[in-house]
Amino acid sequence: MTETYEPLRRLLSDAGYVFVEPPVVHPASVFVELAGEDLRRQLYLTSAEDGTELALRPDYTIPVCLQHLATGPAKRRANYAYLGPVFRLRPGESGEARQAGVESLGRTDRVAADADVLKLAFAVSALFGVKRPRVTIGDSALFAALLDELDLNPPWQRRLARAFGDPARLKGFITRANGKAKASAARSELDGATLPQVKAAVEDHFAATGLGAVGGRTAAEIAGRFVEKAALAQGIRPRTASTLSSFLAVKGSPAEAIAALRALAKREKLDLGKALDRFEKRTTAFAAHGIDLDRLTFAADFGRRLDYYTGFVFEFRKGNAGGDPVIGGGRYDHMTALIPRSSRGTTSPAAVPAVGFAVWLDRFGGTS
Amino acid sequence: MSAPLVLAVPSKGRLQAEAQTLFARAGLEISSANGKRSYRGQLAGVAGVEIAYLSAPEIAREIGAGAVHAGITGRDQVEETVPDFAARAKLVLPLGFGRCDVVVAVPEPWVDVETMEDLDDVAAEFRPRHGRRLTVATKYINVTRRFFAGHGIADYRIVESLGATEGAPASGAADLIVDITTTGATLRANGLKVLANGVILPSEAHLVASKTTAWDAAQKRALAAIVAKIRAVA
Repeated sequence: MTETYEPLRRLLSDAGYVFVEPPVVHPASVFVELAGEDLRRQLYLTSAEDGTELALRPDYTIPVCLQHLATGPAKRRANYAYLGPVFRLRPGESGEARQAGVESLGRTDRVAADADVLKLAFAVSALFGVKRPRVTIGDSALFAALLDELDLNPPWQRRLARAFGDPARLKGFITRANGKAKASAARSELDGATLPQVKAAVEDHFAATGLGAVGGRTAAEIAGRFVEKAALAQGIRPRTASTLSSFLAVKGSPAEAIAALRALAKREKLDLGKALDRFEKRTTAFAAHGIDLDRLTFAADFGRRLDYYTGFVFEFRKGNAGGDPVIGGGRYDHMTALIPRSSRGTTSPAAVPAVGFAVWLDRFGGTS
Repeated sequence: MSAPLVLAVPSKGRLQAEAQTLFARAGLEISSANGKRSYRGQLAGVAGVEIAYLSAPEIAREIGAGAVHAGITGRDQVEETVPDFAARAKLVLPLGFGRCDVVVAVPEPWVDVETMEDLDDVAAEFRPRHGRRLTVATKYINVTRRFFAGHGIADYRIVESLGATEGAPASGAADLIVDITTTGATLRANGLKVLANGVILPSEAHLVASKTTAWDAAQKRALAAIVAKIRAVA
C-alpha cells in the first residue's frame, strides 16, 4: 500500500484542516465506554504490562477528540484532518482499512459548519471520480422533537429515542406497544404498592441477600422504575403509534421532506418548530454553498445508534449501487462530554460542537 | 493404512470421569498409551482411533480449527470458543451428562427487572445516572455478546471472569452475570435470579465432529461405529 493520496491531502489542507496523527494504540476502555460492547467485538485488543486492556484505534474520531482535549481548552475552534489505517475485526475481510477524514470542533455556527463539511465531502467524492454520489441525510433532532410533542409516557419515550437509527427495532417497539394495555401483567406482591413501600421492600431484599449496592443500582432507583413500569404496560395509543409510523416513513428530497413534515405536524397539531426550522435553514445553507440538493435524500428513520451523535448525519454511496457507504459523517456534539474522565485529562467535561466525516478509502477503489 | 481418527476427550474433572464411564459402558475403554501422564491414548472396541487428552475449552477450539476430528465437550464450550460454530462444528450426539444452562442472572433485589427488555431499559439508563456502563461478569464473552445483541442491548460492558462469577455482584466487581447453572441453588445463595427470557442456551456434553478437517472413509466409519456403540447403551 504505497498510495499517498497527495491530491486528497491537498484538498483537505486547502480547506483549512490541519493534519494530525494521533496514536494507534489507546486504552480499550475509552472506545468501549463511548461506543459500547458491540464495538468491542470489532476491536483488536492487547494488554499492557499492568493488565490494562489496550486497543488499536477502530476509527480516528475518538483519538482526534482525545488529542484535542489533551492539548488545550476544550471549546477552542480547531479543524483537524487525518489519513491512515484503522483496525476492525471483520470476518472474511482485512482487519486493516485506510481512512481519511476531517473533524471540525468548536464552531458554534452549527448550520454553516454542517454545510461546509457536507460540501467538502462532495469535493472528496468528486476527487475519487464519483461526481454523482447517492447521499442519504438524516436528523435525529427532528425525531427528538416529535417524541417531545407526542402523548407518550416517559419510559416509552426513552425506549423509542434509544431505538432511533435501528428502523427494524423501532418498528418492532411501535407494533408491540400499540395499545397493549394488558400484555405485560406484572405478577408481583408489590403490585399497587406506593413508591416508599417498594423502596422499603427493595432495601429488605438488599439486606436479606447481603448484596449491598456497591456503586450499582440503588433502592430508590429500582423502586422508581418498578412504579414506572405500570406506565410501560399501558403501551402507546394507536393514534400516537400511527403518527410515529407516518413520521418514520417520510423520505425524499429535502424540499419534499420539509413539506411532508409540515403537513404531518399540521394534521396532528404538533409543534416541530425549532427542529424543523433548523433543518430548513441547513437545507438553505446547503443550496447557498452550491450543493446540488437533488443529490440528497432525506430519510426520517436514518440515524446512528451512538448516543454522541446529536443531529445531522449523512452517508455517501457510489451511484445507485447499494452496499457500504464510502463516506459517513455527521454532528456529534455529545462526544467530548461522554469521554470518560480518566481519558479526558484535566479539561472540563464540556460538550463541544463537533461535525466531521470519515472516508473509507479502500471502498472508493480507484486512486485520486 | 489410513491415518487414525483423532478423538479428543477431557483430561480432567467431572466431564472426564463421566465420559470414561459412558464409553466403558459402551465397550469403548479409553486407556493411556504409557501410564497416566500421557497426552495420547487408545480406544478399545473400534479400530483406527487415537485419543487426545485436552481440556474442554481446548477440545472445542481444536475441533473448530480442524486439529482433531471429533471430541467430547459441552455445547456451551463450542458456542463460546468456536467462531462461526455452526459452519465449523457439528453436534453429533448429546451424551446425557454435563447438563447446565447458560443464563442471565441479576440481583434478586432488582424487583423491576424480570425480562431482557427490562434489562435493556436499565442498561440504557445506567450510564447517565452512574457515569459508567452497566457491567456483566462472565467467562462466556462471545455467547453473551450474541445474546445481548439479539435483544438489542448495547449499553453494557463485559468484565471477564475467570472463576466464582456468581460472587461478582456481591463484591461489586460487576452488576450482573452470565454463567452456567444446573439447579439455580448457587445463584439463589448469592442473591441472584434468572431472567424470565434469560436462558441463553441449555447445554450438555456432546460428541462433536469437526467440519473443518478432512475426513477419509475409514475415519467416517470409525466415528459411526463409536456413535452406534454409545447409542446402544444410552
